Amino acid sequence: MDTLPDATGLSRADMDAAGLEATTSITTPRARVLVKVDEPPKFDLDTYIANYTGRTRYDRLYLIGTCSPLLSTDALKAAIAEARTSKDVSRYERAVRALADVAPNDPDASLDAAWVQETNRYVQTQTERLEHELRGYKNNLIKESIRMGHEDLGNHHYETGDLAAASKAYSRMRDYCTTPNHITSMLFKMVNVATERGDWMSVQSNVHRLRNSQSKPEDAAKNLSKISAASALSQMHQASFLEAANSFLSVPPDLGDTYNEVITPNDVAVYGGLCALASMNRDELQKNVLDSQTFRNFLELEPHIRRAIAFFCNFKFRQCLDILEAYRPDYLLDIHLQRHIPHLYKLIRTKSIEQYMIPFSRVTLDSMAKIFAPTVVGGEARPTDISSPFVQELVGLIQDGVLNARIDLEKGLLVSNQIDLRAEVQRTSLESLREFNEEAHLRILHAAVLQAGLEVKPEKGEGPGLGNGGRFPRGPGRD
Amino acid sequence: MTLLSDIISASAHLHSSNHLPSDEYDRRIRELVEYFRRLQTTKALESFANDESFLDRFDPAIDSIPYLFVLRVQIQKEQELNADSFPAGIRPSGKLWTCAALFLASFDGVQVRYAGREWRLLVELVGQASQAASMPLLGATLVKDAMLRLDPSCAVFTSNHLLLVRLCLQAKAYSCALPVLKKQICHVPISLGRPSEHSVLCADHGSSVSFMTEASGVSSKLSYRDYLQYFLYGGMVYMALKEWRNALHFLGIVISMPSTSSVSLIMVEAYKKWVLVGLLEKGKLCPPPSITTPHVVKVYQSLARPYIILARAFERGDLKRLNAEVDAAMGVWSADKNLGLIAQVVGAFFSQTVIKLGKTFAALTMADLSKQVFPSPVCAEVTGSAVSSLIMSRVLNATLVQSKDHAESSMLRFSSMHSLPRLSHELDLQSQLKREMKLMETLVINLRETNNNLGLSDEYVDSLHKGQVWSGSSEVNPTGGETGLEMDEDLMGDMS
Repeated sequence: MDTLPDATGLSRADMDAAGLEATTSITTPRARVLVKVDEPPKFDLDTYIANYTGRTRYDRLYLIGTCSPLLSTDALKAAIAEARTSKDVSRYERAVRALADVAPNDPDASLDAAWVQETNRYVQTQTERLEHELRGYKNNLIKESIRMGHEDLGNHHYETGDLAAASKAYSRMRDYCTTPNHITSMLFKMVNVATERGDWMSVQSNVHRLRNSQSKPEDAAKNLSKISAASALSQMHQASFLEAANSFLSVPPDLGDTYNEVITPNDVAVYGGLCALASMNRDELQKNVLDSQTFRNFLELEPHIRRAIAFFCNFKFRQCLDILEAYRPDYLLDIHLQRHIPHLYKLIRTKSIEQYMIPFSRVTLDSMAKIFAPTVVGGEARPTDISSPFVQELVGLIQDGVLNARIDLEKGLLVSNQIDLRAEVQRTSLESLREFNEEAHLRILHAAVLQAGLEVKPEKGEGPGLGNGGRFPRGPGRD
Repeated sequence: MTLLSDIISASAHLHSSNHLPSDEYDRRIRELVEYFRRLQTTKALESFANDESFLDRFDPAIDSIPYLFVLRVQIQKEQELNADSFPAGIRPSGKLWTCAALFLASFDGVQVRYAGREWRLLVELVGQASQAASMPLLGATLVKDAMLRLDPSCAVFTSNHLLLVRLCLQAKAYSCALPVLKKQICHVPISLGRPSEHSVLCADHGSSVSFMTEASGVSSKLSYRDYLQYFLYGGMVYMALKEWRNALHFLGIVISMPSTSSVSLIMVEAYKKWVLVGLLEKGKLCPPPSITTPHVVKVYQSLARPYIILARAFERGDLKRLNAEVDAAMGVWSADKNLGLIAQVVGAFFSQTVIKLGKTFAALTMADLSKQVFPSPVCAEVTGSAVSSLIMSRVLNATLVQSKDHAESSMLRFSSMHSLPRLSHELDLQSQLKREMKLMETLVINLRETNNNLGLSDEYVDSLHKGQVWSGSSEVNPTGGETGLEMDEDLMGDMS
């Protein structure tokens, strides 16, 4: 994490082209390739970070600091300050090192050795104290004390950044939980730790347990918003966008600021909106997103997402894509969205092209290019040549079976395939008849052979059994 | 000459019984065959062994049984005299060959059912003699006619099937085997569990499986290798005729045959051809039929690796890779004797790629097309002539439009995927549908027969089920199961 490879930068000028090649410029989101966002994001760093509480503040600041050259100094300084208020030494060291790379002369860019030493010592003694106490509780065999001992230890590990130990301590609480409330609070803690570790499977399973926990109805209602937000987040991270969209849409509006250590209502609006755009068709968007009573409250917080979805529903794809492009830097600096943005944007773009094509039987490539690749139209001599990226994108879509159309390069048209139903029915019925006959023949023959006891079996003495297979010449070690 | 008159009277006795009820006819013909078998064992027939005029007295179409027995004795005599299994007399154009040919072309199918063993030996002899004289085609036509004469449905597999395709492959007379190959084999001779069937051999059977049993001797003892070879050879016949779809079906039969634990090399060989033929017919690597046992599929995949790798390269549309794979495993292809197929696969690559392009583009210039197909630039004329030959051979449904100025390359316009169906096309489709319908009808008949043999007919299963319900629900009728069996026998009685 010390050096920043800056080969992956995106400049405003080729933003549309980047839309075409989004997946190639920021490849393999899972492999933690550092994204560099050169454009200024639209948010104000201080107000943005003020929305969050808890350890996610540092994570977000650090991400912005390492990914956005414009904000790096401010963000990293804030991150250092954030780390110093906590007890997490490794975070402090990481932030200082990152700042030293960006602004070596900054007074904050050198390690405060005294603080590090002191905190380390404090953490050490605290750990020992808590473990000692826990042993004492265990000897006394008082369930409640043991539970609290584990909880204290878990909280301590969580604060100092030892997430594995924290989740282990929390999971040990389980046996000593006596009331549903205890169980819910333990599970929430585990969800938080797992979210920070990026262990989405564990988030999912803990969310499942939360849903099934037998707490009182009023408590359950209170927790529902947090539960569904957490589950939606984990679904989004597992790239099942339709499920994620539905979960985000079902988050009750009373989420408010109760879950700021993980997700804010603004995030719900953005994540939910983008997932819905990427996975639903126009009718569903209108019905489930724009007309939804509960989600409206969230959308009001992020009006541009609402506008984008409305444009999409009204066939104004250029405007929709423009809005999304304008907010791309913001989303690339979001801790949860960053690695999904290229994929989400690609899905949205593909879906727009698909939806755009539906009402037409033939469209000129020029008019399509104007909507989906305006910079390409301006920049190239023959925007609809076969080698242009836009046409290549269309070719890819057709070959993947997304678009049911063909490209006419002579007249510069995209022609949708007209299906002659009569011929189609004849063809398919003949084909299925043939397949049925062949299959039936195979099976009848099978039965006959089995009845006659003539199945292939190893023979004594000679006989080309499996053993002789080795004699067959194989490929000379190719793969 | 009392024996001769005896024989004549015995066979005349049979003629007069032509209009008798079938069980009476059955009894008489059995007696006749018994009589001849007895004569044969007592060597009484030896006296006719040199009497050439004897056979002329009989018409093989009416007196098939005497003719067959005497012919066999004469052949044996000839073999003994010349101390040669194929003396000149039974080679094509020999005297006995002519008699055998006459017999095989005109014998009475019903009578011969009773002398299946003798008939088969004659057929085999004819086949081998033609092979020995290096005139397999003569043998092949005779064997084919004889098989169709005895059993017009040809639905029961016999050793003669294998003999026929082998002869046809040797004679390179592929279409000669087609009349038999086209009949779907649905049965293998079995020993019917119920002796003295509900009907007699000479009766009008719905399916030939009821008279071509293991005991009839129409087929020699079969092993799994026989039918595997037959279907592999059949597939090869279709391959030679470039009927890829049928070839694929035959190969599919071979590779999906049930196996207990081992895999026959014949199946592996068939799988290799299956991969290549699949590329030619469908342009992709076809998965084995769904009823193939999984462990067999694994064996195929490990033993036919080069083929699968080749198919992947083909699917990916990468000409350079395909050629590299072909060159790299040249030894494998030639060792498996599949060089011809490989050459055709490479040839088919171009047409498959162009057809695939037709699904993406409605029109594009030839220059663009060659850029898409060939990794390295090739002369425009090469592509042009290749494409126009595709269009002319009707593989590709497209038109080439020459541009006015010759500077630009000409435009290839693919016809719309489903152009208006012409009348001839419709008629063609209709006849194809009818053909498939007929096929399905024969399949259904055979299926019913199979169900009967396996004791799986609907009525039987129903009655068995009822029987179980009865015996299960109340103890009133504890012999419910047997009731089911009785009902089954009633059903058989109805059918005879």
